[in-house]
Amino acid sequence: MKNKVLAVMLAVIIAVLTFGFAGCKNASSNAAASDFDAIKSSGKLVIGITIFDPMNYYAEDGVTLTGFDTDFATAACEKLGVTPEFQIINWETKEIELNAKKIDVIWNGFTVTEEGKQNIDFTNSYMFNKQCVVVKAENADKYQSTADLDGLSVVAEKGSAGEDAIQGDEFLSKNYTSVQAQTDTLLEVKSGTADAAVLDYVMAKASVGDGTSYSDLAIVEGIDLAYEEYAIGCRKGSDLDEKLNDVMAELVADGTIETIAEKYDLTANLITK
Amino acid sequence: MSFSAVTLRLLDGFQATLFIFFVTLFASLPLGMVITACSMSKFKPLHWLTRTFVWIIRGTPLMLQVIVVFFGPGLIFDVQMRSRMTAVLVAFIINYATYFSEIYRGGIESIPIGQHEAGQVLGMSKRQIFFRIVLPQVIKRIVPPMGNEIITLVKDTSLANIIAVIELVMAAKTIVSNEHIIWPLFYIGVFYLLFCGVLTILFNFIEKKLNYYKG
Repeated sequence: MKNKVLAVMLAVIIAVLTFGFAGCKNASSNAAASDFDAIKSSGKLVIGITIFDPMNYYAEDGVTLTGFDTDFATAACEKLGVTPEFQIINWETKEIELNAKKIDVIWNGFTVTEEGKQNIDFTNSYMFNKQCVVVKAENADKYQSTADLDGLSVVAEKGSAGEDAIQGDEFLSKNYTSVQAQTDTLLEVKSGTADAAVLDYVMAKASVGDGTSYSDLAIVEGIDLAYEEYAIGCRKGSDLDEKLNDVMAELVADGTIETIAEKYDLTANLITK
Repeated sequence: MSFSAVTLRLLDGFQATLFIFFVTLFASLPLGMVITACSMSKFKPLHWLTRTFVWIIRGTPLMLQVIVVFFGPGLIFDVQMRSRMTAVLVAFIINYATYFSEIYRGGIESIPIGQHEAGQVLGMSKRQIFFRIVLPQVIKRIVPPMGNEIITLVKDTSLANIIAVIELVMAAKTIVSNEHIIWPLFYIGVFYLLFCGVLTILFNFIEKKLNYYKG
């Protein structure tokens, strides 16, 4: 009887293990084919995203995914002939998701870094972001580097990326004051209570210059702080990045990217090579 | 975003939380018995194999086990487990069955050997001794530690968010990053509290019902 009990137990263990792996799909049959061929034959591109406004986020209804990267990826998948499948991931585990083939690309305003390049194949960059310096228009030409701003009073929004950039710079940080909002920084410079403001490039581009209420202010060309570029991350050694570069070039050529960027007010950040 | 809209969306996540909880509970309760039997087996290789298994499962974080079950097959064998929920359930069921098995074992071993001997003297079979004498006492004794473990399971379901399963915590995190508001992250505490409250009342009731052999 004891042996019978034992046999039943072993049978149950084996059954549980078998059940556990029943959900697995063996993909090794595709191992010889290239990454892109495997994606093509599966008919879908699994895109790893996080909720990151304005790249990928939920619309008012709380279900529809929208955003620049959402539209961009959808348009690119149409060209590739595959269906996009957006998969929410944790940003900290993105490399594991990619290597374990849970996702095929990381497409979520992904900043290109040298460290990242060692584990990920990036496509060409399609967008950039930076912090810029805004001063009175008549002084804009005087400055070429942050050293020229040595000792001048600088303002930025408290806790902003601009503040981080200032604190990482020995000249800008000398006489720095934090204010409540990015728009306040412009008011400070306009009224003369501060010499320079550091703020988001997109915001500055939209807020200063001709036709705005800050027409007497200008962005200092040549001083780029915290400059970063966004690209699509593919598996190391994948051929997908080449395919995406081709598709991207097509989307630039036919104006699709431009249209999408306009929709999300990101035209100033677009890199069109 | 309004309070009711947030609540409604969190309820979607709460459904997944409940799903993980109930499936894990109902699958690991019987599986735990199997592990107990293997663990208490007189067949030594099986005994040691099971003890090693228990050591590994109890000795590593559940979060790591979830990661291993989900990413491991893809990284090592290029075999894909597509469903994130399946990975969570497999990891949770194995983990909880192991903990339950130790509670069962403790309960069974707490019955004095004298009772087995008394049963034998009275001419009862081993099976009769186990089901009529040992088991009713074991069930009664393991209710408090089982209650403890089951309430822990409610909160452990939040670990599923490590592989981006949209359960309660992940649902709240999604709302936080989408709507730029932070209160939903704290508000989900209420869901866990209420659910654990219900379970506490349930376990008190069960303990009262099992209040036999008194005096």
